[in-house]
Amino acid sequence: MTSERSDNSVIALRDNAEVAEALGRRYEAGFVTDIETTSLPPGLSEDIVRQLSALKGEPEWMTEWRLKAYRHWLTMPAPDWAKLRLDPIDYQAISYYAAPKAGPKSLDEVDPKLLETYEKLGVPLHERAKLAGVAVDAVFDSVSVGTTFRKELAEAGVIFCSMSEAIREHGDLVRQYLGSVVPAGDNYFAALNSAVFSDGSFVFVPSGVRCPMELSTYFRINAINTGQFERTLIVCEDDAYVSYLEGCTAPMRDENQLHAAVVELVALERAQIKYSTVQNWYPGDENGVGGIYNFVTKRGDCRGDDSKISWTQVETGSAITWKYPSCVLRGDRSVGEFHSVALTHHRQQADTGTKMIHIGKGTKSKIVSKGISAGRSSNSYRGLVKVEKGADGARNYTQCDSLLIGKRCGAHTFPYMEVKNPSAIVEHEATTSKISDDQMFYCRSRGIGEEDAVSMIVDGFCKQVFRELPMEFAVEAKKLLEVSLEGAVG
Amino acid sequence: MLKIENLHARVEGKEILKGLSLTVNPGEVHAIMGPNGAGKSTLGNVLAGRDGYEVTAGSVSFDGVDLLALEPEERAAAGVFLAFQYPVEIPGVNNTYFLRAALNTQRKQRGEPELDSMQFLRLVREKLKVMRISDELLHRAVNEGFSGGEKKRNEIFQMAVLEPKLAILDETDSGLDIDALKQVAQGVNAQRSPQRAFLMITHYQRLLDYIEPDFVHVLADGRIVESGDKTLALKLEEQGYAWVAEHGEPAGAKA
Amino acid sequence: MSQPAPSPFVAALLDAPLPASGIGWLDAARRENLEAFAAAGLPDTRVETWKYTALRALAQRRFAAGDAQADARDVDLSAFALPGTDGPELVFVNGAFRADLSRLRDLPAGLSLQPLSLSLRQDAEPLRFALAGRYREAGDAFARLNAALAADGVVLRVAAGARIAQPVRLLFIGAPAEADLAWHARNVVELGEGAELALVEQHASSGEQGHLGTLVGDIVLREGAKLRHAVLQDAAEGGTLVRRNSLHLAARAQAAVHVLELGGALVRHELQAELGGDGSRLDMRGVFALRGRQHVDTQLAIRHQALGTASDSVWRGVADQRARGVFRGAIVVAAGADGSDASLANKNLLLSGQAEIDTKPELEIYADEVKAAHGATVGQLDERSLFYLRSRGIPQVQARSMLTSAFCRSVFDDLPDETLREHLFAMLSRRLPA
Repeated sequence: MTSERSDNSVIALRDNAEVAEALGRRYEAGFVTDIETTSLPPGLSEDIVRQLSALKGEPEWMTEWRLKAYRHWLTMPAPDWAKLRLDPIDYQAISYYAAPKAGPKSLDEVDPKLLETYEKLGVPLHERAKLAGVAVDAVFDSVSVGTTFRKELAEAGVIFCSMSEAIREHGDLVRQYLGSVVPAGDNYFAALNSAVFSDGSFVFVPSGVRCPMELSTYFRINAINTGQFERTLIVCEDDAYVSYLEGCTAPMRDENQLHAAVVELVALERAQIKYSTVQNWYPGDENGVGGIYNFVTKRGDCRGDDSKISWTQVETGSAITWKYPSCVLRGDRSVGEFHSVALTHHRQQADTGTKMIHIGKGTKSKIVSKGISAGRSSNSYRGLVKVEKGADGARNYTQCDSLLIGKRCGAHTFPYMEVKNPSAIVEHEATTSKISDDQMFYCRSRGIGEEDAVSMIVDGFCKQVFRELPMEFAVEAKKLLEVSLEGAVG
Repeated sequence: MLKIENLHARVEGKEILKGLSLTVNPGEVHAIMGPNGAGKSTLGNVLAGRDGYEVTAGSVSFDGVDLLALEPEERAAAGVFLAFQYPVEIPGVNNTYFLRAALNTQRKQRGEPELDSMQFLRLVREKLKVMRISDELLHRAVNEGFSGGEKKRNEIFQMAVLEPKLAILDETDSGLDIDALKQVAQGVNAQRSPQRAFLMITHYQRLLDYIEPDFVHVLADGRIVESGDKTLALKLEEQGYAWVAEHGEPAGAKA
Repeated sequence: MSQPAPSPFVAALLDAPLPASGIGWLDAARRENLEAFAAAGLPDTRVETWKYTALRALAQRRFAAGDAQADARDVDLSAFALPGTDGPELVFVNGAFRADLSRLRDLPAGLSLQPLSLSLRQDAEPLRFALAGRYREAGDAFARLNAALAADGVVLRVAAGARIAQPVRLLFIGAPAEADLAWHARNVVELGEGAELALVEQHASSGEQGHLGTLVGDIVLREGAKLRHAVLQDAAEGGTLVRRNSLHLAARAQAAVHVLELGGALVRHELQAELGGDGSRLDMRGVFALRGRQHVDTQLAIRHQALGTASDSVWRGVADQRARGVFRGAIVVAAGADGSDASLANKNLLLSGQAEIDTKPELEIYADEVKAAHGATVGQLDERSLFYLRSRGIPQVQARSMLTSAFCRSVFDDLPDETLREHLFAMLSRRLPA
């Protein structure tokens, strides 16, 4: 015991750095799949946007929609965030389209190597999908490679397909809702996405239908120098319900890769959408080399009265994460929820949170954010709760807790509260603490080793959020935290 | 089993233990009594391996092993158990889960097979009956929202499950009303055996009414100044600790 | 890009001559700060610290440079009497020092108190550190303006070990003049090792006017010094007041700050504290009670720099009618400030559908072994308490008033000076809706 003060087991833990490092497992999803891809040359121009649209066989209105977004994007300044350390991104060096060469027609035609990739990732794409009862749409680099359970869903009247297919097959629906929650010019990355999005998922649950199974999308960036710009649109008509899960991984590469997705949710009267994310993009190595830039715009619109949208996210990956899944509570008595666990280690930077915009009467929102910082990482919660004049009786409760592991990381909380209605109640509470030495010693004196004690305590810290995840995801999330924290107590 | 020789220890640069010696054999119950600030809790924490308690001289051997060289979890696996004076709350971590993790880690260390959840549940039910603890406690997070009495009973319950060779009870009686005290004492007595030794650290004699010690030691200014049988405790009760100060030479434990 | 024409606000102030001191470093600092102000102008709401306070309307106003007749303005001091403060005091009218109204004779041993203008004439060098600064942040427009144009203010020093029994009062009065004018005051306060002082800073108005006042204060506490600082702000209804007090605490120094904000049309109050020495401690309590079209923006920035530092801040706000209350409470625990304990709570009552509250507590933690917590709420009176009072026969209006008053008063419960406390309560009660 070399420490000077009486209460610092975390310092004592550092003595075990070498052991921990030797044990440190590597990024498990960091393999590259060797398959032939068709891609557009790097660079961005009106021509590229037209080519992309043509490659995908899109109708004229879609091409025009993209071009309008592109022209708008050109006029926008790149964002500048105080809390992020970030090299300027060269948008001309990115390829905006990469697809496996053998165009898949159905699951059986999918390149076996691809299926192998999903096996390694643990995606229940084929047989396993049926066992798990999860319908999966997998997006590999830029295109959707197959959607399981189509027939079963079709019988229920649910449309679940790739965005490309939706544009071709369900053009009217897409046209009605696309960009209605996140307008093309909403922000820099949303505009870029609107111009060049390659694929994504489309879900439509008609009136009165409760989607009979969990829907799931797995995203993976494989090709080098590729950006992934997927676009997801989920619409629940009156009284409809859907639970949707997304998971994300990318191979290990020294270059930074860009992921700029847009997700739009529309909930009509009494509809409910539950959207869960487990994000495990490659975070870069312990020196901050490589990793995904994860700049995502996610927004849900509770358009109908008594509707509900709930976001749950577990964020352990990416070099830089910038996302604020939000709810526009337009309908009276609509409800928005945000449950988040964000873990950063090594040199990762996460700036995440939510926006709850109360417009309708009697609207409610709840925010639970758990940030865990280790290594030299930086982890910020940034959130806005806004109560507009007409939102009588609006209610918000926000809880943000940060847990620090080690001396060189940062944990920050920036909540904004803007209240214009005197009958609203808005509450925010935040705490920052470290794993207490008392807790560590208590566990150890009962025979539990340091690493186990840390993951046990972290798991307890996150419990409130894990409870919101579907069972399989909760188990995966817990495992991810353990893996991501390896070496953190060293 | 436990042999402490000439133990000196510092906390925040201040010397608290100043040459403490004590021998404990299997099956024995030792009570360590003494005024506030004598170093009673320091002794418990040094034995369990808490950070910030710096041993500057002396040795502690446990079953022939140098206890001071072991990490806290290794000491636990070796069979040392500290019942905390202030049991720690760990929000979100389920009590049962915690205890099973602790037991299985210890069993693994000792080369014994781990218990599956059914076996563990059976064990826990059995022990609960002895401790008269309701099931409900198991479903809550570790010590979170427990009353003072519940926390202390939970410590003894953990001891029952982990079955240590040496149990150190640090002021287990403090903050308990008489009924809670009786329950805790009953739990301890149920676990007395020829293989298990107890070190009871206490300020008051009343705990000893319920758990009869084989030996009583008086700790003052970092040393054991008097050792005897249970009548020593009664003498302390009558005459108070002031008597200790006037009383002669420091003595080694004669156990 | 061509430089846009300066706003009327900036143009009018640039017309004013810089105060000339004949001291090289001071004149240089004033000139450079004025140039920086002229170049950047007023911040817009894209500057994070000004997000909720738009200065567009202010930018269109013109203020005369100071008050040439300030010495002759008739002011009745009895209107601003504070029970319990009959000790040393310095009075400024429209920014000009008024020796005739001040009380500077027979100062207690260890206390040195004089106007800045006099200190600069006698011995400027010790003030160099405080006055030679350049302000570089985008939100620093008023600090720049103040640094350039403040010709007077307060220099207060307490010798090491001296404990000043009587509270010292600094009174800033706005008096009606021929036109709305701008005044600037610069305060330098230093408590030596182990020194103790109670300081009352009071802002008042002797009649309706729409002046702009800026005040910048540097307050330094040496090792083990103790400061109690009370601020009573009851400026003119049409006034604009921008204040910044910066506190620096050395090891084991303690500061307790109590702030009551009542007056002004547009008020900005920045309180910056640096806990620079091990074991230093800061307690801050504040209330703003607003009505009409008042806009009051409070910005707390607390920086824990050293081991084992502690800060505890409690702020409460009430906004009625069309008023807007803005609060930002930023806590930074810097790397190395291990073992620090920081907490901040901001609660607000919104009493009208036209009023608005914007609050933003912030935590930035870079250290280890830290305990940090903050909370903020916006809401209304507790219905159960209201019902309880009414069920005991208290009319609704009165019950509301009682609860609103209690909501604010509780913040000052720990103010040790009882007479001052009662006075604050009385001022507050007059202010809250009856």
